[in-house]
Amino acid sequence: MTTEPPAVAPAASEPVPLRHSALIEEHVSLGAKLTDFGGWEMPLSYPAGTIAEHRACRTGAAVFDVSHLGTVRVEGPAAFDRLQQTLTNDLGRIGPGRAQYTHLLDDDGGVVDDLIVWWLDDESFDVMPNASNTSAVTGALGGTDTTEQRAVVALQGPYARSVVRSVLPEAADLPHFAVASMTWRDTPCVVAGTGYTGEDGVEIAVPSGSAVPLWRALVAAGAVPAGLGARDTLRLEAGLPLHGHELGRGITPLQAGLGWVVGWDKPSFRGREALVAERARGVERRLVGVTTVGRRPPRAGDLVEAGSGSSGVVTSGNFSPMLGHGIALALVSEPAPATGTPVVVTTRRGPLTGTVATTPFIRAGQFASPPSTPPD
Amino acid sequence: MDTPEDLRYSTDHEWVRVAGDRVRVGITDYAQDALGDVVFVDVPAVGAVVEPGGPLGEVESTKSVSEVYAPVGGEVLAVNTSLAERPELLNSDPYGDGWICELRPSDPSTVDNLLDAAAYRALVDG
Repeated sequence: MTTEPPAVAPAASEPVPLRHSALIEEHVSLGAKLTDFGGWEMPLSYPAGTIAEHRACRTGAAVFDVSHLGTVRVEGPAAFDRLQQTLTNDLGRIGPGRAQYTHLLDDDGGVVDDLIVWWLDDESFDVMPNASNTSAVTGALGGTDTTEQRAVVALQGPYARSVVRSVLPEAADLPHFAVASMTWRDTPCVVAGTGYTGEDGVEIAVPSGSAVPLWRALVAAGAVPAGLGARDTLRLEAGLPLHGHELGRGITPLQAGLGWVVGWDKPSFRGREALVAERARGVERRLVGVTTVGRRPPRAGDLVEAGSGSSGVVTSGNFSPMLGHGIALALVSEPAPATGTPVVVTTRRGPLTGTVATTPFIRAGQFASPPSTPPD
Repeated sequence: MDTPEDLRYSTDHEWVRVAGDRVRVGITDYAQDALGDVVFVDVPAVGAVVEPGGPLGEVESTKSVSEVYAPVGGEVLAVNTSLAERPELLNSDPYGDGWICELRPSDPSTVDNLLDAAAYRALVDG
């Protein structure tokens, strides 16, 4: 038996020491299987396994260590202008105490990174890039890389708020995409109503020294530890892009269907000219959802041909634990096929038949199941 | 890792159980653990003749695609049809209900070329 490289664990290009979150010993003691992700050694799954962890997040509440995401603190009187003139989204749409999803582009309009900005207060922002892009983002924005000083845990699922209510009650009432400073056991932390699973939930940044007790409190309150394997299948079911797959240099926000991430009325941001030109002439390819018949998963790199004549390539594909069949995101040529158009996905293992589908593939809370019901 | 004494093993992490003139084939506990949650198993066609070391099927997990190789050559006599609906049997019972297929070896003596349990343990612990 031979195994291809795991889709969620790209191999490091050179042997550098792996970084660890403040929770690494906790993960090991829980029996986690670890993987290299973006230069960090992080939990891929716990003994329950990726599918059980995925289901826990869809039905109840799951907790993820996402400390590998970078945190770059940008502050001072020039901070707002620096972010506003560099990143695509318009900070004028929000204000202090809110979070915003945004992109950092190159001059060709390709996505250097997709990230979340937590607007903490007037002149203070925490910018959260993908692990492997933190230095690129710091280079573009300046600011201070505070990644080493804190851990970030994501509590996600239809019962995430009821779980967090017994641990950090204030967080349970935090609105979607709000950001607030709170205190947990005399320790300052920052909580945001954000996540990457398609479910409701919060993300909590705590000083590294408080990471283990916070994690244990959340698990004791009913959250199921979940690894990066489940995080990847969850985000795919939710139709959310992953940098390096649906986004990257050579792929623009418009091609990814994320025109809403662009503040078109802003006079300048990096990559604006290329993006405005692309919008004027029309995109040549577009990201679509695909569902396939049967359990065999479509995979990144598989070819897609639609009955309409459009063709392209799968950027991410897997088995959907909740739907019981294959799902994929694919970049296909314009005119992109309408929802319901039949497609054939050509894999080196044979063809899969499928259909263009709207994303997300599932709805938030669709599989919520009261945690009080014990399994049979 | 569970490595039953009564089985023979390939260096590619398949196991073989001899029963009369046929052998049953699956993947090892080590292999299923490395793969993670199995979501699809492609089994060979009954009646197919496979070469030793040739492709016997594929196992797909949430994280990867893996090829299964024939530990011995021969004719496929039976396949585990339960795997179509329950591929997770490879994880939960790799040496039992998670078997993949049965072969009639074209040369039964080739089974003796496979690793015994101690040698396989040494391979995966190495």
